Amino acid sequence: MQREKTSSGKQGLRITVNGEPYELRIGDWPGEVSTSHTLAHTLRETLGLTGTKISCDRGACGACTVIMDEKPVLSCMILTVECEGKSITTVEGLRDPKTGRLDPLQQAFIDHTAFQCGFCTPGILMSARALLNRNPSPTEEEVKESLSGNFCRCISHYHVLKAVLAAAQKGEPTHS
Amino acid sequence: MKSFIHANARTVAEAVKLLKRYNGKAKVNAGGTDLLGVLKDRILPEDPDAIINIKTIPGLDYIRKDSKGLKIGALTSLSDICSSPKVREGYSVLAEAAYAVATPQIRNMATLGGNLCQDVRCWYYRYPNEIGGRILCLRKGSGPCLAVKGDNRYHAILEGKKCFAVCPSDTAIALTALGAKLKIAGSEGRKIVPIKDFFLTLGDILMPDEMITEVQVPKPPKKAKQTFIKFVLRKPVDFAIVSVASILAIEGGVCSEAAIVLGAVAPTPFRAVEAEKVIKGKVIDTVTSAKAAEAAVMAAKPLSKNAYKIEITKTLIKRSLLGSS
Repeated sequence: MQREKTSSGKQGLRITVNGEPYELRIGDWPGEVSTSHTLAHTLRETLGLTGTKISCDRGACGACTVIMDEKPVLSCMILTVECEGKSITTVEGLRDPKTGRLDPLQQAFIDHTAFQCGFCTPGILMSARALLNRNPSPTEEEVKESLSGNFCRCISHYHVLKAVLAAAQKGEPTHS
Repeated sequence: MKSFIHANARTVAEAVKLLKRYNGKAKVNAGGTDLLGVLKDRILPEDPDAIINIKTIPGLDYIRKDSKGLKIGALTSLSDICSSPKVREGYSVLAEAAYAVATPQIRNMATLGGNLCQDVRCWYYRYPNEIGGRILCLRKGSGPCLAVKGDNRYHAILEGKKCFAVCPSDTAIALTALGAKLKIAGSEGRKIVPIKDFFLTLGDILMPDEMITEVQVPKPPKKAKQTFIKFVLRKPVDFAIVSVASILAIEGGVCSEAAIVLGAVAPTPFRAVEAEKVIKGKVIDTVTSAKAAEAAVMAAKPLSKNAYKIEITKTLIKRSLLGSS
C-alpha cells in the first residue's frame, strides 16, 4: 500500500501527460487528487486540459478517449490514483510541441470538415491516432472498427472516415 | 461517487487480506469499466468503503498454452485475448466472444476476470440513486422484482426465479461451452471451480474475500467447429439480446459431441442440454437443427414483453449449427 510521501506528508502521484511530468498530491483539498477522481476529471479540472470531453461519463460514448500505454482508453472510467507512473496523451498532445504544427490527422479533420459540434472529435482523434500509430495504412474496415467506440450524434462519420484515410495515405511521420 | 479509501495491492495475498479486513465493504478494481459505473450511479445499497486496485499485482496477465489447454490470467485484457494467436487457434469461440464485447477502448481496459464478475444490466437494478432513490429488489437485499410486472423486454426467458436479470457476460457463455474452470483465491486458500458452478441466479459464488486469479480452458475436441453469435441492436457496444456459443465435434458427417450455451436468456449461462441431445449422433441438417432449436427453448417461460427472444434464440441456434452467422 506504499505511496511516495511528498513534503507536506500527503501521498504523491506522478503521471506524465503529453510529455510533461506532473507530481500531484492525493487528498481532498483544491488542486489535489481525490481517490474518487476519474482521470477525465483530473485532466480537465486539475490540469486544465479541457480538450478531453466528458459526455456520458459511463464508458459508453468514447468522448473521453485518451491514449495510455499506446492504447485508446476511456479516461472517465479510470481512477487517477491508479495511474502512478503512467504516460497519457490527450488531444492537446497531438500537435508538435516545438513548432505547434497540427498533427496531420487534425489537419485532415479540418480539410475534410470531419466535425460539426466537435464534442466527440477529441475522442475520435485519439482513437484514430492510436490506430495510425500501430497501423499506418489501415483499410476502411479497420478504421471503422477502431472508431467503433466513439459515438457522434451530428453524424460526422462519413467525413471522419475520409479524413482518417486521407491522413493515413499521407503517411507523414508524427512526433507522438 | 462516495469517497473511499484506495489501496494498490502488490500481491494476491495482500488483496485477499484487505478484502477480508474490510469484511464485505471493499471491492477489487481491475479494468474498472463496470465497477466505476456502479459507483457513479451509487446503485449498491452500501457503497464500498475501500477500493483495492489489483492491476498493480504482477503476474496475473498471461496466456499460456500447452497440449492440455489454455491458462489465462484473470487480469488479461479482452483485447489481448481476442488478438492472441494462442486463443484464436483452437479456442476461437473464446476469441470471438472477447471480440464481441463492447468497444475497442473497453476491450483494452476490461479483464477476463472482470468480465465474468460484472454486475447485471437490469434497468431497475441499475437505476441510479437519484430522483426517487435507488430501486430496491431481491438482488440488492430485499424488495420485489419490478421487472416481472414492468418493462422486461431484455430480461430472462429461461430459469428466471426471484430475479429475471440476464447474465451479461459474453466470455462466460464461450467459457461455459468450453468447460472452463476458475482458480479462485481467498483467505481460506485457493480453489478451482468449474464455471458451470460459478454463476448463481443472484450473482456468483465469490465470497467477499475472494477473487478470480486464473481461467483454465481444457482443449476442445480436435477440429471442433466453434461458433459465437451475438445478436445486438447496435453494433458494437450493446450487451447481447441473445447470444449462442457452440462447439461441435463432427466425425464422419455425424455430430459426436456438442456443447451449446445460450447467453442473455437466463440469469446464468444456459446450457441447452435438450438441444445437444437432439443432435448428438445425428447428421446436422435443416431438420435436426430446427428440432434442436425447438428443444432448446422448450422450457422457456417468457415474461410479458420478451417472448420475441424465443424466436431469436431458435434462429441463432440454427445458424450456429448450420454454419451461417
